Amino acid sequence: MPDQRDESEPEEEFDSDLSGALDNALEELRREIRDRFPAAAQPVRDVDWFALFDELRQRLNTFGMVERSGEVDEFGMDEVVLRRSRPLLDFMQDQYWRIDVSGLASLPTKGPCLLVSNRSGMLPYDGLMISHAVSRWQGHGARPRFLVADWLITLPFVQPYLAQLGGVRACRENAERILRRAGWVVAFPEGVKGAAKVYRDRYRLQRFGRGGVVRVAIEAGAPLVPVAVVGAEEVHPVLFKIETLARSIGLPFVPVTPTFPLLGPMGLLPLPSKWRIRFGEPIPVHTLGPDAAQDELLISRLTEELRERIQSMLNQALRARESVWS
Amino acid sequence: MSGPRSIAITGVGTFLGDALAHRLLSAKEPVRLVGIDARRPYRLEGRIRFHKVDFTDPTADSRLAEILQRESIEAVVHAAFRQAPTSDIEYDHELETLGSLHVMNACAAAKVRRLVVSSSTMLYGPRPDNPNFLTEAHPLRGHKDAHCVQNRVEVESLLDAWRIKHPDTEVTVLRPCWIMGPSVSDAVVRYFARPVVPTLMGYDPLLQFVHEEDCLHAFETAVTCGRPGVFNVVGPGVAPLSTLLRLAGKTILPLPPAVLYRLRYYPSQAQSGDAPAGFYDYLRYLWVADGERGWEAFGEPVYTTREAWISFVSSRRMKRYR
Repeated sequence: MPDQRDESEPEEEFDSDLSGALDNALEELRREIRDRFPAAAQPVRDVDWFALFDELRQRLNTFGMVERSGEVDEFGMDEVVLRRSRPLLDFMQDQYWRIDVSGLASLPTKGPCLLVSNRSGMLPYDGLMISHAVSRWQGHGARPRFLVADWLITLPFVQPYLAQLGGVRACRENAERILRRAGWVVAFPEGVKGAAKVYRDRYRLQRFGRGGVVRVAIEAGAPLVPVAVVGAEEVHPVLFKIETLARSIGLPFVPVTPTFPLLGPMGLLPLPSKWRIRFGEPIPVHTLGPDAAQDELLISRLTEELRERIQSMLNQALRARESVWS
Repeated sequence: MSGPRSIAITGVGTFLGDALAHRLLSAKEPVRLVGIDARRPYRLEGRIRFHKVDFTDPTADSRLAEILQRESIEAVVHAAFRQAPTSDIEYDHELETLGSLHVMNACAAAKVRRLVVSSSTMLYGPRPDNPNFLTEAHPLRGHKDAHCVQNRVEVESLLDAWRIKHPDTEVTVLRPCWIMGPSVSDAVVRYFARPVVPTLMGYDPLLQFVHEEDCLHAFETAVTCGRPGVFNVVGPGVAPLSTLLRLAGKTILPLPPAVLYRLRYYPSQAQSGDAPAGFYDYLRYLWVADGERGWEAFGEPVYTTREAWISFVSSRRMKRYR
């Protein structure tokens, strides 16, 4: 009700001299009480420790509830957290990475949809931004859920936040479940191989798993939409990887970027490269019928076609840009 | 096919057995109930026929078969499982695995028409590589540190073999998730009933509960109407652990897993005979089950996960301020 508050403001100004008179009257009353009852003049020394402790305990327990809702959806996405992080996500999209989104008009208007993109880097900024860009364009539609690699979605401290923002563990069952309910999924079929690319291999698509993406899309009757993200592979330029150390802490590899182990946690801040997200024409695999999912040759052909489409979209966008920052 | 006229409940002293007996006794069509347990259930005194059988006894199967035949039992509900693991691992194994084998053999000998076995979604095991929703077809991987879970995994594999050999008996396996409600009391409820709840720092898995009424309704339907197959019995919806604890006004004590597992090592050994991971891993990784098959067979549950939790919390609050 912001309108009501605006109306009440002038009244407060009008009352300012009245409140001064009220303050004087109160002060007089206090003096009188102090004169009549000497005990009231004594400062309060006893602290009710129990009440204080109880108060503190209650504050502590309700502390985290303000920024989250009591109910989440079945994959743990939290509407309140999303609403609260929306300004940050908007800032990242518009000011930080200055994301240039194109091809949204070719997206299907209803039904399930499987967006397939190139994987860039360890952290799922790309999935988050694709999902945010689509949901902004759609308005109040269901938010696309982005799939996150196993090792990241189960990483302590990261896991609760990823789930709240709409991340889902990348596995066949989860993707099928979302698509079956006419939801949208953002998948990165390159997997860890894609995330582990070093800087000189950037924008060179790796093998697309074993065609799982295409098979899921055919079975769920969802069109495949190729998505090319340019710029995201420069936010953490990986110079080289350490694999021996990584095994002992449960990561697939430890990337070494110009900033990462050197500056500690500060090194995790992404660089402000200029991003371009291109949505390609949907590949209508949903018209093939569920029997096509058994045809292995068809699936590998479609997978390769999908990969080539994304690669050519990437190459096109790369040729068009002048530098990483603009 | 009309419902069975005589039903036997093994483990009638457990929460499930006891509550199901009360529910069946107050049903529209009264049935003859036979209770089997190692201890006499005083709450059901005089309302059911009780037989004392110790399942760890090597001859329990023939004794059980004799009882089932004499009482002409048509359906058996097998609920004789530990509600909380005890430190006597050997005994638990005898009771749960060998006891179930005895029940199966006795059912075969007495030609029981229907067998309902209580299991748990805990059998899927908490794993980082679980999909968000586990279906009934998912392999039961259990947890190596939870001996009661391992026992029940063994029971289910024995039951699979038994089912093929005895196709005349309708077998229903019900896998409820953690049961919440005003009257249930087991190891899980004891953990959540504490005012200060230790959790694993950095982990906040989605949990799922089923209300005791919904769970008992599924058991009742399975035994009276017959729904052969394996079903997850869960409430709709999921909620993160931290949200649940905050809703209940609990004080959360997040500890790094290594610290918590060391601190809890000896108390946990004494209490449940397991390493703490046997319980706390269920608060670390995902093990939510897909309930759609169960809802189709037994009807939509009345309580969601959140409502089951609120029902549990409010009943606890009432008890405390009584």
